[in-house]
Amino acid sequence: MRTRHKSAAAVAVFTTLAVLVTLAGCGAPARKGRYSGTVKVSGSTTVLPLSQEAATEFMALNPRANVEVQGGGSSVGVAQLMQKVVDVGNSSRELKGDENNGTLVDHRIAFDIIVIVVNPSNPVDELSHEQVKAIFTGKVDNWKKVGGPDKEVVCVVRDQASGTREVFDEKALDSTKEHPMESTPSAIECASNGVVREIVGTTRNAIGYISFGYVNNKVKAVTYGGVEASVADASTGRYPMARYLHMFTRGEPEGAVKGYIDFVLSDPFQTEIVSQEYIKIKDVTVK
Amino acid sequence: MSAQARQAGIRLGALNARERNVKYLMFACASLSVLAIMLIFLFILRESLPAIRQLGVRNLFLSADWSPNVSNPEAGSYGMLAFINGTIMTTLSAMLIGAPLGIGAAVFIDQFAPPSIAQVVRRGIELLAGIPSVIIGWFGLTLLVPFIARLTGSSGYGMLAASLVLVVMALPTITTLSAETLRSLPPELQEASVAMGATRWQTVYRVLIPAAREGLLIAVILGMGRAIGETMAVQMVIGNARQLTFSPLQRTSTLTSRIITDMGEATGVFRSALFAQALVLLILAMVLIVSIRLISRERKH
Repeated sequence: MRTRHKSAAAVAVFTTLAVLVTLAGCGAPARKGRYSGTVKVSGSTTVLPLSQEAATEFMALNPRANVEVQGGGSSVGVAQLMQKVVDVGNSSRELKGDENNGTLVDHRIAFDIIVIVVNPSNPVDELSHEQVKAIFTGKVDNWKKVGGPDKEVVCVVRDQASGTREVFDEKALDSTKEHPMESTPSAIECASNGVVREIVGTTRNAIGYISFGYVNNKVKAVTYGGVEASVADASTGRYPMARYLHMFTRGEPEGAVKGYIDFVLSDPFQTEIVSQEYIKIKDVTVK
Repeated sequence: MSAQARQAGIRLGALNARERNVKYLMFACASLSVLAIMLIFLFILRESLPAIRQLGVRNLFLSADWSPNVSNPEAGSYGMLAFINGTIMTTLSAMLIGAPLGIGAAVFIDQFAPPSIAQVVRRGIELLAGIPSVIIGWFGLTLLVPFIARLTGSSGYGMLAASLVLVVMALPTITTLSAETLRSLPPELQEASVAMGATRWQTVYRVLIPAAREGLLIAVILGMGRAIGETMAVQMVIGNARQLTFSPLQRTSTLTSRIITDMGEATGVFRSALFAQALVLLILAMVLIVSIRLISRERKH
């Protein structure tokens, strides 16, 4: 027992040293402590991981700055920004309605592509816009009608708070403010991209939609309207189900808030972190 | 009065004062919990009033069209019938499976098992009660759901999976309380029955279970109380859908799982409608508690 404790202690000491060395190494070139003060951030759960990662790295570079990041969903982020509860509102959708009153400044931080995925055992490889709409609104409830096996369709969608769902409803289901379209009441609602992938990956007759960065070999991406989801086609607009991820501020950002957003847009962060799941903002040419 | 006696009197006075203080402290504790329950009830009632007033009882409680609108809550529909149905269906079917299982286990512990084995079973069931619901839910998600999917060709998510998860959650309550009830029966009952030449099974079936009927019923109702409020485990396996369904293989939601799925983004009447769901849940739980009171009063007579 005693030796195990000792070695645990040694590991702890070593880890602490390693972290300290790393932090010192990071801090050195960047004029330590250029920004100070507290930055409060909330909003989209899609943006949350990016925002959090940026906060951690930003605080390591600027020890006197403090960035607090919370989720809650795009609408919550924008609402809290307007109520001056937070300094930055993360959003996975554009401003709408009352939100768009000219006081908020948009910072596009990444580009996201929504991919339609099915279980790998499903022989269906391509779906048209109409087919996708019919499937997700419940008009088509059997795979047979779109060239698949005679099996019930299980739709997997995101929760009400999700910006991904909002964009999907708008682009794939042609939902508008006047004629809102909803996915079928029998759809499974999930709180994250990861859960959608898990359920589609383990349920034979399932179909769902997830962010481009989440696609892996557990699920099969299908072409949408004859176009395969890809960075090239999404950034030119040929693949329609794509969107920007945003950080909004009240007016032009200043001080630590500006420092934080500049950091998110900086080349190293975009290349190393953003591009793991999304498309770097510089690589996008659409709109 | 001697100095000694006076001293003793003072000490006694201090002791009395402390006695009194402890009494007040305990009274404060008791009233705090009563106060908390009342405040919760009033708060939930107040928060759900806007939805009840705006939508009316019919559109809120008797409609199964739940289509919230996040950006413009007024434009959505908030009928919760599908989730009331989901809660009642999953809880009742869980009891349909859980009650015989739990009472059976209790009879085994009380009547058939040798003491050492009874002890093992009892400890095992106590352990089961201590497992956090998220773990039971995860177990349901990774084992139960694929199993049901393979067996039935459905998605696997749905009321059947939820009910089975709830059986696991309610079983410890039912078993422990049923075993307690059986143990508290007067031994003469069993002795008389055996003396009349009844077999063990006849004794259990014809004498002990009827005699313990009220206690067993209370055990099942308390198990229901556990099942009706369960959120996490149910949300993981029920499929979080919005449809009204009576098929055990179809996806739907319970009141609890719908509240947790939707509460993140809810504002205005949407939020209020979620509180109205909480109100229904609270009333269902109260009905259970009141029925326990009624049953135990009957037992005393």
